[in-house]
Amino acid sequence: MNKIPVLIDEKKLEVDPHRTILEVCREHDIEILTMCHLKGIADIGSCRLCLVEVEGINKLMSACTTKVTANMVISTATERIKKYQRITTELFFAERNHVCAVCVSNGSCELQELGYKTGVDNIRYPHLFPQCNVDTSHPWYVMDHNRCIMCTRCVRVCNEVEGAHNWDIKNRGHQVRIISDFDTPWGASTTCTSCGKCLHACPTGAIWPKAIVQGQLVKNPGMITELVEKRKMRL
Amino acid sequence: MKSDTAVPVKDAPKTDPRLKLIAARIKKENYKPDALIEILHTAQGAYGYLPIEVLTYIAKALHLPPSRVFSTVTFYHFFSLKSKGEHTCIVCTGTACYVKGAQAILNKLEQQFALKPGQVTKDNKLGVQVARCIGACGLAPAVVIDNDVQGKVNVEEIIQSINEKTGIL
Repeated sequence: MNKIPVLIDEKKLEVDPHRTILEVCREHDIEILTMCHLKGIADIGSCRLCLVEVEGINKLMSACTTKVTANMVISTATERIKKYQRITTELFFAERNHVCAVCVSNGSCELQELGYKTGVDNIRYPHLFPQCNVDTSHPWYVMDHNRCIMCTRCVRVCNEVEGAHNWDIKNRGHQVRIISDFDTPWGASTTCTSCGKCLHACPTGAIWPKAIVQGQLVKNPGMITELVEKRKMRL
Repeated sequence: MKSDTAVPVKDAPKTDPRLKLIAARIKKENYKPDALIEILHTAQGAYGYLPIEVLTYIAKALHLPPSRVFSTVTFYHFFSLKSKGEHTCIVCTGTACYVKGAQAILNKLEQQFALKPGQVTKDNKLGVQVARCIGACGLAPAVVIDNDVQGKVNVEEIIQSINEKTGIL
């Protein structure tokens, strides 16, 4: 396959066509922040953290859903992008009830890490403090909507990798919530296989196993990526 | 994907003609999962709203995950999970209607029937809803009673009209 030239952050690169900007950047150790991306499952470009500037296009493009084209000039770390990344991160924190100190994921949370990376020390937006349920009906796992950031990684993993499609989204706007079956308790689900893939796909402490206490949760989203690759190989 | 595995129409409860209507529509659409929205339209037309039992039936017949069906229903404002009442009274609260006194109409309805927008009377006879603009600004204030648009109305006329249609008072 012919390689095409692109210019990312003033670095000249020869890359394979038909790849996304995100894939190319990850390959060449150029950092791009993501939340809804998980290698192995479909990209939907919903978190808006991976926005990059492309020369000749006025609006910012999401790196995970934009394919590279020949002679593309891409900037990944301009002031404009950093400003938007910080805004997006603050809005994540303002939308639900994120309290790191009492969270199972404290220390291994992708949202927390994102906060450190974008330098969030205060949140300039009013917190919404929504009334969210904590679904403890499943015998092994807990779904805490307070900590959910609606990345929908659990939804896509359940649908694409496990094939069960237990999860989906209800409503729209700020009232969106992850649902199991007909918005019924997770424990009463007729489709869930209790495989636990959603737990590993979840970037925050929204889905966690019951045996875990504060700050002890270790997630392994890489497992999903490996699983998808192994399935493709059909050993 | 018409196949042996699809739920056959004869499995639909024979006692409920509304379910038969839905079953027929599903069959007409060839059990295609893509036809979910069309089938939900039929179901909403038959029942006036979408009871969970009906959604369960549709999900099974189309081989769709329940969560996907629920997601679609809650995404579109047209679909409703709660009964909107046998008779509906939609008050337009667009700018023109608002200026011409839509709020006074809503207040009167609340006073007369103890109904706020979105609520239904206990006997399920009447439901009151609001619309942002029904596109009849020249007729402001406009009210839609059972798909019947009434323009340039006053409060008494509406109460009388509702009474004629529903016999509620």
